[in-house]
Amino acid sequence: MKVTVKLVGGLVHTVGFSQKELDVEPGTTVDDILASIAIDRARPMIIARNGHGAQPDEEVLEGDRILVSPIFSGG
Amino acid sequence: MDGWTGQILRVNLTNRTHRAETFTEEFATTWIGGRGFAVKILYDELAPGIDPLGPDNKLVVAVGPISGVPAPNTGKTIVAAKSPATGGYGDGNLGTRVTDQLRKAGYDALIVEGRAERPTMLVIQDDDVSFESAEEVWGKGTIATNEWIYSRFDKGAGVLNIGPAGEHMVNYAVIRSFEGRSGGRPGMGAVMGSKLLKAIVVKGTKPIPQAFPAKMKELGRDDLREVHQIDKEAAWSQQGTTGVLPWCNEVAALPVHNFRGTSHPDAWQVDGERVNAARVATYGCPNCTMRCGIAVLDDEGRESELDYEPVGLLGPNLDLYNLPEVASLNYLCDDYGLDTISAGAVLGFYADAIEHGATEGAPLFGDVAAFKKLLGMIAHREGEIGNLLANGVLRAARAFGHGSEDYAMHVKGLEISAYNCKFIPGMALAFGVSPIGAHHKESWIITYEVNQTPRESYGRDKAQKIVDLQRIRGGLFESIITCRFPWVEIGWGVEHYPVYFNTVTGKDWKLEDFWPISDRIYALIKLFWLREYPQTDRLADYPPAVWFDPANADTEGPIAGRILERDKYDSLLQHYYDIRGYDTRGVPTRATLESLGLHEEASAAEAYATIR
Repeated sequence: MKVTVKLVGGLVHTVGFSQKELDVEPGTTVDDILASIAIDRARPMIIARNGHGAQPDEEVLEGDRILVSPIFSGG
Repeated sequence: MDGWTGQILRVNLTNRTHRAETFTEEFATTWIGGRGFAVKILYDELAPGIDPLGPDNKLVVAVGPISGVPAPNTGKTIVAAKSPATGGYGDGNLGTRVTDQLRKAGYDALIVEGRAERPTMLVIQDDDVSFESAEEVWGKGTIATNEWIYSRFDKGAGVLNIGPAGEHMVNYAVIRSFEGRSGGRPGMGAVMGSKLLKAIVVKGTKPIPQAFPAKMKELGRDDLREVHQIDKEAAWSQQGTTGVLPWCNEVAALPVHNFRGTSHPDAWQVDGERVNAARVATYGCPNCTMRCGIAVLDDEGRESELDYEPVGLLGPNLDLYNLPEVASLNYLCDDYGLDTISAGAVLGFYADAIEHGATEGAPLFGDVAAFKKLLGMIAHREGEIGNLLANGVLRAARAFGHGSEDYAMHVKGLEISAYNCKFIPGMALAFGVSPIGAHHKESWIITYEVNQTPRESYGRDKAQKIVDLQRIRGGLFESIITCRFPWVEIGWGVEHYPVYFNTVTGKDWKLEDFWPISDRIYALIKLFWLREYPQTDRLADYPPAVWFDPANADTEGPIAGRILERDKYDSLLQHYYDIRGYDTRGVPTRATLESLGLHEEASAAEAYATIR
């Protein structure tokens, strides 16, 4: 199934892309996706799934849009 | 007294006099510096009810114990006064060489009183103070004024100046520095203008008093390098604050069309990637190794330094998605000395008021040429509409009527910054209880709230988080004083800051020792407001009515059909008051004030209002 991953802020530069469509197996979690795109998970991140806050262990579904951002704490 | 110069410079523009005044260690450790000094001075010295744009108002420029010391990111200065925008306490911080130069000149704060007869540039060089004519640049923009000043002083001088907006006393005129943009959203530039004070120049040659200067130098150097390295690895400053725009757009928190919308498919055209790609120069504050001032060229080829707030409010909030056009509005605001946040909110409100028939006019949204023209009219208070909009959305809405007050996006007269909280209760509360009116600097809980809590929750945890953040951001950082970005953006530990404080002061304070002082500062700011508004009630801490209006709910997207709920917001507000020890009006109780050592201040307030 297809999901879209959108990166934000510094992650665009450290990971090397802004947005990408991934083909993943059913049962794939948000954390699996982060691992597959080689994000340094030691750094705190915030994740949104279809515009809602998401946790790493959530399973993704067909057509999901996963946004991954550094942990902004404010401007 | 290690860590403080022990002196405040008092300047009177009316009499052209000045004197250095000493302060005690007790004063220093009770208020620390920066915002703490500013609110204590203003509370003690300003009679309630004075005209904020009259000679009785005072402008305080204050730094803190770690200001100017080489450490992350200590180049900030506080500017404070009674606000013409809100009528309450107003302040802001900005990066500037004034920070270290004021300390090297021998002062921890500057108090400017009175009103000059003619446009004046105040020049402080160690113990010498002079009042020089600024008539040559009166009427000039901040950019030309800055160039004029630096043609007379070397680049090491610290400079604060204002543009036409300050001269014409626009309620949201800021003070400008060219080493860190602008500060003083609630009209601190207008206060300078009311005093005919075009600029302040500071040069000093004395050492900054420190308990362990060699240790601080080594520590500061190492930490500046480490912060730089973390930033490099995280690539935060590649986009700076503009990096947050796609997140706001994704989670429905972007201000679009005067905050009526929360996201837009074209928002990517003005996001951090586009800003970074268009970068022509990078600027930063003194003592900063994660420089976030990204300059791009505007639609007339001028350098315009952007960050998220102006992009959000001068872009999507006005239905503008062309980066050079947005940059041009930002350039004009900077040159006129207008606050970009309030300016964007004012233009958006005016366009919305026209659209909803509250006032007459041609449609404005998306019309960059019309917005450019309006900014010039506002900055010069030109014509009826320029003059009205120069007063901010609250007063403009009162003039327009027809229900426009509901969508005038402000709290206490200060326009809301670029986070649309129509369904983000905690962040709405953070705007509501910000001590200067709606501003994000005190408590930016939005990412915590959206990602780590149920968004629809109005639980006590959110109120507690706001208090926790206010203590760090609005209390600790604004008093010692330092930029919050190393902590908020790349995770530089807050535990570093007591180490810096102890190294310069020789004290042995723990992080928790700062919290009562933060609470004292917030409580005194509340008393300042109470004296000005003795009949105040909790409604003063409410966000705009439109965020509670079901008709304003998104029709699609992640928060479709959702809005803030008034009764639940009120209970969240009460949680905040309970944690803070405030009464149901949002005023600190007598017990709270006494626990914070504010006995005399409470008595002073009781001459004007009731303390329960």
